[in-house]
Amino acid sequence: MDERKPRGVGGRLILALTLLFFYFPIFYIILFSFNDSRSLTRFSGFSLRWYEKMFADSTMMEAVLYTVLIALLATVISTVVGTVTAIGLSKSSRVLSAMVERINDLPVMNPDIVTAISLLMFFSVLAVRKGFATMLLAHIMFCIPYVMLSVTPKLRSLDPNLIEAAMDLGATPFQALTRVIVPQIRPGIVSGALIAFTMSFDDFVISYFTTGNGVNNISILVYTMSKRVNPSINALSAIVILLITLALGVVNLVPILREKNGRAAAKQPNRRLLAAAAAVLALAILIAAVAGSGAQRRRQKDAVEKYGSAVLKLYLPGEYLGENVISDFESQYGVSVIVENFDSNEMMYTKLQAGDSYDVLIPSDYMIERLIAGNYLQPIDKSLIPNLDNLSEAVTGLDYDVDGVWSVPYFWGSVGLVYNHENVDPAVMEAEGWSILHDTDYAGRIYVYDSERDSFMMAFKALGCSMNTDDPAEIEAAYEWLRQMNNTMSPIYVTDEVIDSMINGYMDVAVVYSGDATVILDENEDMSFFMPEEGTNIWCDAMVIPANAENPLLAHEFLNYMLTYEAAFDNSETVGYASPNAEVLEEMSTQEDLYAENEAYLPRSDGENDEMFHDNITLQRELSKYWIRVKAEN
Amino acid sequence: MKQFRSMTYPYVAWIAVMIVLPMLLIVLYAFTESGNDVLTFRFTFDNFVRFVTDRVFLSVLWRSLYIALITTVICVLLGYPIAYAIAQLPGRGNTIMILLITMPTWVNMLVRTYAWMGILQDEGVLNGFLGLFGIGPVPMIHTSFAVILGMVYNFIPFMILQIHTSLDKMDKNLLNAASDLGADRVQAFLRVTLPLSLPGVISGITLVFLPAVSSFFIPKLLGGGQYVLVGNVIESQFLTSGDWNFGSAISMIMAIIIMLSMYLTRKADVSVASNGKE
Repeated sequence: MDERKPRGVGGRLILALTLLFFYFPIFYIILFSFNDSRSLTRFSGFSLRWYEKMFADSTMMEAVLYTVLIALLATVISTVVGTVTAIGLSKSSRVLSAMVERINDLPVMNPDIVTAISLLMFFSVLAVRKGFATMLLAHIMFCIPYVMLSVTPKLRSLDPNLIEAAMDLGATPFQALTRVIVPQIRPGIVSGALIAFTMSFDDFVISYFTTGNGVNNISILVYTMSKRVNPSINALSAIVILLITLALGVVNLVPILREKNGRAAAKQPNRRLLAAAAAVLALAILIAAVAGSGAQRRRQKDAVEKYGSAVLKLYLPGEYLGENVISDFESQYGVSVIVENFDSNEMMYTKLQAGDSYDVLIPSDYMIERLIAGNYLQPIDKSLIPNLDNLSEAVTGLDYDVDGVWSVPYFWGSVGLVYNHENVDPAVMEAEGWSILHDTDYAGRIYVYDSERDSFMMAFKALGCSMNTDDPAEIEAAYEWLRQMNNTMSPIYVTDEVIDSMINGYMDVAVVYSGDATVILDENEDMSFFMPEEGTNIWCDAMVIPANAENPLLAHEFLNYMLTYEAAFDNSETVGYASPNAEVLEEMSTQEDLYAENEAYLPRSDGENDEMFHDNITLQRELSKYWIRVKAEN
Repeated sequence: MKQFRSMTYPYVAWIAVMIVLPMLLIVLYAFTESGNDVLTFRFTFDNFVRFVTDRVFLSVLWRSLYIALITTVICVLLGYPIAYAIAQLPGRGNTIMILLITMPTWVNMLVRTYAWMGILQDEGVLNGFLGLFGIGPVPMIHTSFAVILGMVYNFIPFMILQIHTSLDKMDKNLLNAASDLGADRVQAFLRVTLPLSLPGVISGITLVFLPAVSSFFIPKLLGGGQYVLVGNVIESQFLTSGDWNFGSAISMIMAIIIMLSMYLTRKADVSVASNGKE
């Protein structure tokens, strides 16, 4: 034991450095949860606004509950099953254990999206209603292999004669298991449980595709809501850390206090841990039950009579709603709205294909074409939507649905360049247009949107082609254009993080969607927005009602409501995209305290080279292949 | 031992339903032609041929394996001493340290990675700190350094846990016996502790390497999108191009390659384990 001291100093140092490494980002996250602005890199002042926002957001609180519940249940179940199975396998034939191990590797090794899609298809073949149960099953499925991976090595180093000895001494197999084996492999079980908990707590992709009906976990919120860097997420993380620290503190302190009081039997703390876990679990279930039944039952009688059901399921891009739109709609109509978010049109399409049902979707133009062609939609009953009169002319008669039979516009906008006018001369910008992305004066200073659709759009426009072209020679030329950009400009490929990065002014030029640009210009005065003369993508996202909607009547009511002045104003002001409501559009773009000074807000409606995308899956696959080549071929 | 063997039956049934059946759907996709995103039953090898004949995909796969390998090696080299140092702590300190190391993983991975993005910027905290000594700014974000750092940060807790598990509750009498027999500390470590902890190291490698190959959020955010990895390609097949058939084929190829390499590691594991017993 006298060796312990010198080892201790080195050991302590290692541990101190380890903790510094692990907690540095965590403190950073906590610090910025108190930031006054949206930025995650510049601290502009202390504020509690993100905490207020978080606590006011019932979906966030619900998500915390679901996350904890599912993580606890999945951990307990997978730890028990995984341990029992691992022990059984250690006494089974090699062939069987090798086979199970290989199969276990699959969920660990496969990209989450593959596991997710396979389960999505599987559940939809079985026609199971997705929600809490399916998500829990999926979590148990991917957690058990981690438990077994942790327990098995411990079992291997166990003396095989131990069990025989115990049973020779009169122990039943069950006693041999619980009294001899389990205590020996306990460290493995504990670390398996910890890893299972982590995996369940942090999972996004698999949860996203196996859940439904408004059951979200924290990760789903983080991925679909953090589009515009939402420090409420930081606040949420800080709270989670605090809660876990408290829980662990209690669990670890109780045995210490007991010991001080003496009398603690050696085995006691172990049981207490289980008891604590059980208590937390019971509590969580209780809260869930209370929250679920109380809020939903109160107001809905009238709505049920009128519409057949008082629930509306809405599926739309993340951060795409005005602050009070949903709560106003709910209280006005006495209904509750389940909001689910998607990251891309294709993600939404995947869920539809699997048969998931929603009442209202908000996809983009080209996707609406695809949905119409695939018979996914039902025609809109215009007599139920008197507010259609409020629509701006700019968004009527658009290509994807010329007569407005299937869709009602929600937001529209363009794609353009945000640039720092302190570093880039506006005259140069105007002269060069998209070719500024080839101007080596700005090499290493540009962000390009990481999507084949938008990148090829720029290239086609820069070369004077249609962005819907499928002429192989033009595609080849556009590919060359992008390749040259990649090789001479060292661009950084980004998606939503471009918003925060440009607000902070890290780069001089970025390809940005107009609504995001509105936000950037609002936060950083040095930034300007430019739509190249060569043309750009003018797009429109619109509300549609799926053919399998469970509540089409209420869906029409919702569409009508979203076209009211109040709702449209709230949406447009919060999100920054152009409103389809003529009056709101006019006001936003002319009133100084709104977006009059913000050149990103109002899309161009007279650009003769501007176009909308048409749906063409074959072309998109082709472009996707080229786009991977552009990025990976050096 | 029959009672023990029968404990495996429920799980065997479970994986047949929850893992094998859903995976068969993926295999089916991999071997069929893409009709407009529905499952067709026209059998084909095209998806595989397309992957193998395009050197871009091969280089992407190679890069993914390479980055995962480096991550794994660093995790072993750093994780072992950390796990060892923790195992030396007295009982309660041991538990608390393990909890302290696991806790950061309960903060969402995306949030943690965003934090690293802020820290590693040219104008970020780390460069601000270096600036105090007149150094820098050192470009860190969008470099291989940032990618590897982010990957190691994300995966090393699993390595530490696994190695710690194998060191914890190790029979201390073995070490005493070794020193009684004249072994010094280094020898005792090399001959006794290290071999006994190898199963933990190997299961740690599994836990780090397998998910690291297909990870893509971290390389994408910290590498600036120039690190196209296989996870990225597979994801875009499913979620942007809607080519499930090709996506399935790529993931099958990846699975087979990883299975082969894991088979070799496990073989090493078995021979180590049996050496230990003799």
